Amino acid sequence: MSRRRHPDPHIEKALRYAESQGWRVEVLGPRAHGWGKMYCPHNDPDCRCGEFCITVIWGTPKRPENHARQIRRVVDGCLRRAGETDDEQEG
Amino acid sequence: MNEYEFTLTFTLRSTGVDVDDLVERLGDAGCEDAAIGVGQRGRLALSFIREAESAAKAVLSGIADVKRAISDATLIEASPDLVGLTDVAELLHVTRQNVRKLILDCEAVAPAPVHEGRPTIWHLAKVLGWLREEKNYPIEEDLAELAQTTMQINLAVGSKDIDHAAQSEILALLA
Repeated sequence: MSRRRHPDPHIEKALRYAESQGWRVEVLGPRAHGWGKMYCPHNDPDCRCGEFCITVIWGTPKRPENHARQIRRVVDGCLRRAGETDDEQEG
Repeated sequence: MNEYEFTLTFTLRSTGVDVDDLVERLGDAGCEDAAIGVGQRGRLALSFIREAESAAKAVLSGIADVKRAISDATLIEASPDLVGLTDVAELLHVTRQNVRKLILDCEAVAPAPVHEGRPTIWHLAKVLGWLREEKNYPIEEDLAELAQTTMQINLAVGSKDIDHAAQSEILALLA
């Protein structure tokens, strides 16, 4: 892994999970809030992540555990939807 | 204080703006309790975990924060409100099969959907109310309150398209 580590261990762990599922983490230059962005591996017009295909990673959110949870949820949401395309068809 | 989990989706009129700058403005406005999705041009989605005294305060303050940061952002949807069976299952922490049984394969008349089709869509507030009333199913008060709030917000969003002349005749028929 060549990127910079996230300063918060909860968020760093969630990012490693995202990377293990094929997401790409891009670190931004120094700024007050945004630390980086993560990109869905299926980032194409058919992807079911929608807006969350690119998700912002905060540098110092007030509750890092919650942010880590949100990151995992974005990743799992994508996986769940990917394996489920026919599921909703039955109504 | 309770924690409320909800998502707000906005359209952005000015597409030429640098996304990373918008993110900084949202951070300044207090949106760091949301995961922000910027994967679609002209759109912005914020998935909040927000502490507040009530669901209404949580969601309305979320909208206000975004508007303060980006004045031309227009809300298009608050969720969870419009839901399919899979969404209901996730929110109630049960299997989809379980929800299917509860709602569709039961003797009581199922709650009326907003749209019947593939998939069928309900207002979450209606499903939760129905589960509580008809099935004695335990529903968390926070979730019920959140679903009411998001439904009211989405109805308000839809009401921007109302043609008052056409509506008076239609409403008479629905009474």
